[in-house]
Amino acid sequence: MAISPGYFLRETWSSFRRNWVMSLVAVSIIYISLLLVGAFFLTSSVLNEIVSSFEAKVQVQVFLKDGALPADVESLQADIQKIPNVKSITYITKAQALERFKERTKNTPQLVEQLRGNPLPASIEVALSKPREVQGVVDAIVKDANLAKVVKNPDDPLASDIRYGQNVVENLFKATGIVRVFAAAFLILLLVVSLVLIGNTIRLAIYSRRREIGIMRLVGASNWFIRTPFLLEGVLQSLIGSVLALLTLIAAQAFIVPWLQDNLKFLPVSIGGLTVAQLAALLIFSGILIGLLGSGTAVRRYLKV
Amino acid sequence: MISMKNVSKVYVPDKPPALTDVDCEIAQGEFVFIVGHSGSGKSTFIRLLMRELIPTTGQITIAGQDIISMKSWKVPFLRRNIGCVFQDFKLLPNKTAYENVAYALEVIGKSRHVIATQVPEVLRLVGLEDKTDSYPDELSGGEQQRVSIARAFVNRPPLLLADEPTGNLDPATSLGIMSLLNRINKTGTTVLVATHDREMVDSMRKRVIALENGRIIRDQSRGVYGYGD
Repeated sequence: MAISPGYFLRETWSSFRRNWVMSLVAVSIIYISLLLVGAFFLTSSVLNEIVSSFEAKVQVQVFLKDGALPADVESLQADIQKIPNVKSITYITKAQALERFKERTKNTPQLVEQLRGNPLPASIEVALSKPREVQGVVDAIVKDANLAKVVKNPDDPLASDIRYGQNVVENLFKATGIVRVFAAAFLILLLVVSLVLIGNTIRLAIYSRRREIGIMRLVGASNWFIRTPFLLEGVLQSLIGSVLALLTLIAAQAFIVPWLQDNLKFLPVSIGGLTVAQLAALLIFSGILIGLLGSGTAVRRYLKV
Repeated sequence: MISMKNVSKVYVPDKPPALTDVDCEIAQGEFVFIVGHSGSGKSTFIRLLMRELIPTTGQITIAGQDIISMKSWKVPFLRRNIGCVFQDFKLLPNKTAYENVAYALEVIGKSRHVIATQVPEVLRLVGLEDKTDSYPDELSGGEQQRVSIARAFVNRPPLLLADEPTGNLDPATSLGIMSLLNRINKTGTTVLVATHDREMVDSMRKRVIALENGRIIRDQSRGVYGYGD
C-alpha cells in the first residue's frame, strides 16, 4: 500500500487544528506540569551546586614543625600526591600563613601587632576530589613514614598536626546527604505525577473522539492507519508543551540567576550549559514518551470494533 | 454473493436469541429489503454481515470468503469491499463532506490524484456538488445520509449494506435516498437495505426478507412489506 508520510502529517495537523480546544487543554497541562518539573530540576541543580561548594571546603591540613627539612617536606608532598582521591596540594609557607591571618583579622589589627615574630606554622593543604571520603586520605597520611619527620608531635599526629574538621565533616555530610535525597525524591515524585496527568489528559482527548475511531474501523481503516495520526498528535502536543516549558524556564533563569547572584553573594548560584542541556533532554524526551504512551494506550481501547 | 447457514446470534445467555437459524442466499446484483418490527433482528442481520458481530453458531460467507474464521487483521480488507450506510450516518464530525468521502479512499491507499477525481464525481452522483466543504453539522439529515452513501459507494464496493438508511428522514427525503440506492444497484452493486418503511418497500417491488422474533418468516422476490400485519 502506497500511503505517503505526507498524508499522516496533513491528517495530524488538521486534526490538531480542528480539535483545538482539546489540543489546547492538553498542551497547557503538558506545559504547566513540565514547567513545574523543570523549575524544580533547576532549583535542585542550583541547590546541589551550593551543597557541593560546601563540601569542597572540606580539606586536610598538615601543620609542619618549624625546623622541618625541605627535602622531607617535599617527599611527604610527593607521597600525598600519590594518594587516590587527592585532587591537589598546596604548600603554605609561614609567611603566607601570617598574611592570611592578617587578612582574616584586619578588623582588629592590634591582634597582629601583639605578635612577636611569626608563631604560625607552615602547612600542606590537601584538596580532595571526593570530599566525602576524607577519612581514607587522613588515614593514608598518618601512615606515611615521612610524616613523623616533619611534624611536632609524631606519636599522635591527629592530636594537633593534622586537621580536617573531624566533627563538622560528619554533620555536614549528613545534612547535604539529606538535602540531596529529598531533592531527588521530590523530583521523581513530581515527574511521575506530571506524567500520569499528561497521559490522562491525552487519553481524555482521545476518549472524546472514540466514536470517530469506531467509524474509521467500520469504513475499513486498519488499526495502524487509525493509530498513526493519533500518536503523532500526542507527540505534537507534548512537543509543543515541552518546548514552551523549556523556553519559559531558560528565559526565567536568565532573569532570576543574576538577581540571586546579586542578593546572595556568599552562595555560588549558577546554572551551567550542561544543566540546561540535561533539562532539555529531560523535558522533551519524557514529553514525547508520554505522548506516545498516552495516545497509544487510549486509541488501543477503542480500536476493538 | 452472500450465504448464511443456520446463523444464530445470542447476546445474553438465557434470553431469547436475536437471530435463530437464519438461512439465506443472496445473489450478486440483487436488491434486497430486510423488513420487520424493531427488535426483529434486522440490525443484527446487517451487523453480522459487516463482521461488527460474530454469530453464536452458523456459517456466513461473502464472495466465497468465510467471514467468521477470518483473522481480525483481515477485517479492514473485508470492509473495504462492503459499503455501509447507517441510520445515524456515522460521519466523522471533524471532516467536511468532501473529506469524509475521501477518507474511504485514503484508507485503501489511493493517491491524492485519484481522490481528487473520484470524490467530486460521487458527490455529484448524490447531488451534493455544492456542499463539498460543509461539515456534517451544517448539513440536513438527508444531505448527511447522501454523504454517507457517497462514502459507502466511492470505492465501488460489490456489496452495499444499509441499516435503516431512512429511519431519521422525512418521506420525501427518504424517497430520494431509496432511488439513489436503486441507481447504485443498477451499476451492479448488491444492495441490502434493512428498513421498517412500509410504503417504500411496497412501492419498490424488490425481494423482501421478513424477520420476526429473529426468524425468517417470509422471503419473496418482488415482494411487499407484509400482508396487512
